[in-house]
Amino acid sequence: MNKQIFVNLPVKDLDKSKAFFEALGYGFNPQFSNDSGACMVIAEGSIYAMLLTEPFFKTFIDKPIVQAKEATEVLVCLSCESREEVDDLVARAVAAGGHTPRAAQDHGFMYAHAFEDLDGHIWELVWMAPQA
Amino acid sequence: MSKQVIFNLAVKDVEKSKAFFSSLGFTFNPQFSNERAAMMIIEEGSIQAMLTSEDFFQSLTGKPVAQAKEANEIVICLTCDSREEVASLVEKAVAAGGRTPHPLEDEGFMVSQGFEDLDGHLWNLVWMNPASRTSQASQ
Repeated sequence: MNKQIFVNLPVKDLDKSKAFFEALGYGFNPQFSNDSGACMVIAEGSIYAMLLTEPFFKTFIDKPIVQAKEATEVLVCLSCESREEVDDLVARAVAAGGHTPRAAQDHGFMYAHAFEDLDGHIWELVWMAPQA
Repeated sequence: MSKQVIFNLAVKDVEKSKAFFSSLGFTFNPQFSNERAAMMIIEEGSIQAMLTSEDFFQSLTGKPVAQAKEANEIVICLTCDSREEVASLVEKAVAAGGRTPHPLEDEGFMVSQGFEDLDGHLWNLVWMNPASRTSQASQ
């Protein structure tokens, strides 16, 4: 069976984070969601993010939680279908209360931009030109 | 085209980290690897990790690099095909210099155990028993 991945990220306010990612167009799987966590579908059957309240996230680690607005352990990079999708997602993220740490980078064969979500987690969005 | 995800994780020593994950059975894509970063294939065409030197990682984020041995921002959870795969990967990780923060948890419908890699990043391995279904939130 194909490997599936669940990206577990701590959030301060689950409802606000759900609303943020809904504004970006993501759906949630109610079967794997409750008051402590919400399962966000990035690619059905393959890639999911679990937005977890900080107290619940804490139960999976034996260390403190990184405050992602202050320091970064991970960059989650998602591929996009087009430059427009990259720009559209960043625009929606900023409109929903996120921010973008830098300008878009255009390398010709690759177009990249990024946003920080409400908790400071960094999401990179990349479009790669189809290989000739 | 299906979505792909690439996790960029900061590592102190790219070569040592490559050796660590190679001993777990993961392979690398040399086309997207150099001395500052190595692309590890988790699921061909959909899930990759970039093991990135701290200097290079920092240049990408604009914020300090979190020291994952001291605090965590993420738990990466991967599904496995069997209970044995979960146990085997954890065993290999510990043998290669990682550590496991929790004993294996067996909840019947789900078996899970995590390991920390050389830099403290936490990987959780889960096997969902196809014979049972649940409506519980799980990770």
